[in-house]
Amino acid sequence: MALGLRVSGLATFIIVWELAARVGWLNPVVVSSPSRIVAAFAGQVNSGQYFGDLGVSLVELAVGFALSVIVGVVLGVAMGLNHDVEYALDPFVWFLYSTPLIALYPLLVVWLGFGFVTVVTVAFLLTVVSIIVNTLAGVLSVDPVLIRAVRAFGGDQAAVIRKVILPASLPLIIAGLRIGLSRTLIGVVLGEMFSSNAGLGFRMTVYGARLRTADVFVPLITFVVIGFVMTQLVGLIEHRLQAWKAVNR
Amino acid sequence: MSRRTVIGTLAVAAFLVAWQLVGSHNIIRSDLISYPSEVVTTFATMSASGELAKNAAVSLAEFVQGYVPAVVFGIGVGVVLALVRPLRLFFDPVLIAIYTAPAIAFIPILVVWFGVGAPSKVVIVFISAFFPVMINTRTGVAEVAEPWLRAVRAFGATRLQVIAKAILPGSLPAIMAGLRLGLGRAIVGLIAAEMYVSLMGIGRLIQVYSSAARASEIIVLVTVIAGFGFACVSLVRTLEQRLGTWRSDFE
Repeated sequence: MALGLRVSGLATFIIVWELAARVGWLNPVVVSSPSRIVAAFAGQVNSGQYFGDLGVSLVELAVGFALSVIVGVVLGVAMGLNHDVEYALDPFVWFLYSTPLIALYPLLVVWLGFGFVTVVTVAFLLTVVSIIVNTLAGVLSVDPVLIRAVRAFGGDQAAVIRKVILPASLPLIIAGLRIGLSRTLIGVVLGEMFSSNAGLGFRMTVYGARLRTADVFVPLITFVVIGFVMTQLVGLIEHRLQAWKAVNR
Repeated sequence: MSRRTVIGTLAVAAFLVAWQLVGSHNIIRSDLISYPSEVVTTFATMSASGELAKNAAVSLAEFVQGYVPAVVFGIGVGVVLALVRPLRLFFDPVLIAIYTAPAIAFIPILVVWFGVGAPSKVVIVFISAFFPVMINTRTGVAEVAEPWLRAVRAFGATRLQVIAKAILPGSLPAIMAGLRLGLGRAIVGLIAAEMYVSLMGIGRLIQVYSSAARASEIIVLVTVIAGFGFACVSLVRTLEQRLGTWRSDFE
């Protein structure tokens, strides 16, 4: 029953949209229609452009996210272990967090050039803060007794980080990755819309300017699918992790 | 003063001094990075000419017209979907699909639909804020609903009373978190939409100065937006604390 309702919700939406465009309640040039979008999708796939754009966006997404994870976790752990580092970096982290970074894109383009590097930088700056903040919270939540125990048995700083801090703060780090990943996607879309000449975000602006609505929907729906798949994947990882934690207790 | 304040202030001061020196001595071309004193001067000029206030007023109006309805409808729809299971199952796939996509990806299509003027900005603000508020309300209500419903019902309350007296206060923390999340996204959506295409507004100004790569003006504008975001978040936080006390009184 539940699944039936879910499917019928989506199906109704698509059917009403298609009908409204065919019957003429809505202007199909403006709102497009599911069948037109499918045709536009086929056209973009056949011309080879679609997978080119998709590839560019996915690579930017992956590189931006990977960089953010590495830098974010390292900085977060450093801030968590050394209070002075935290105090010094804190104002900058919060400035980054509260600034709509895309507004800086004109400067980024001047500094870094048009395209890949700028897009990745926008995605990175958006993502890294949420990973830093969550990693820091995770490290601060670690039971100090555990750290002292490792030290007491002769463990060095590296052992403390590897054996205690990272495993213990993992749930919060993963939560940071989940928030971060959706921000990376936002960064890639914004970066491509304003400072690139490739990728799905760029393509949307091109078709948008030509009022080719069906073609605009192809990258847009792709972003919906990417967002959905990412959310499901991270949810799966979080679920696994919780199961693993439960077993360990 | 706490060690945190001292070290934080020192770090920011060191950054500003280094930036000032590097910029004003042209170690890195100052037209690319500007420098603090130059930014302050530019801010004064832009304020004096009325350019800043005029465009900020336009952006603020667009923001309010989109954000306030988003909060009202977001909470309303969130409560209904949390309490009425068939509706939730029916609408979930479409709503979740729109929610997981970055709202800013809708900008090009919204401009086609609503034009280059204010309406497309109001709509993007609405979409950006509506979904976080709605999803958070829904989750919050769903979490408190069951036990509260039974308890209040047992004392013979009507459905409306249950919602007003039990469910809304109980889910308030989640709703407020949604307001905060929506706030940030709405600001980004607004600025991005204005930058994409518009007639007036702070985002439009950024676009104007970007074609001339005027670092000082852009940094002023970014700081103004950040300040606005900071003020809004502080406002929501204060509201949260006020309502928090009210809630504990209520309990």
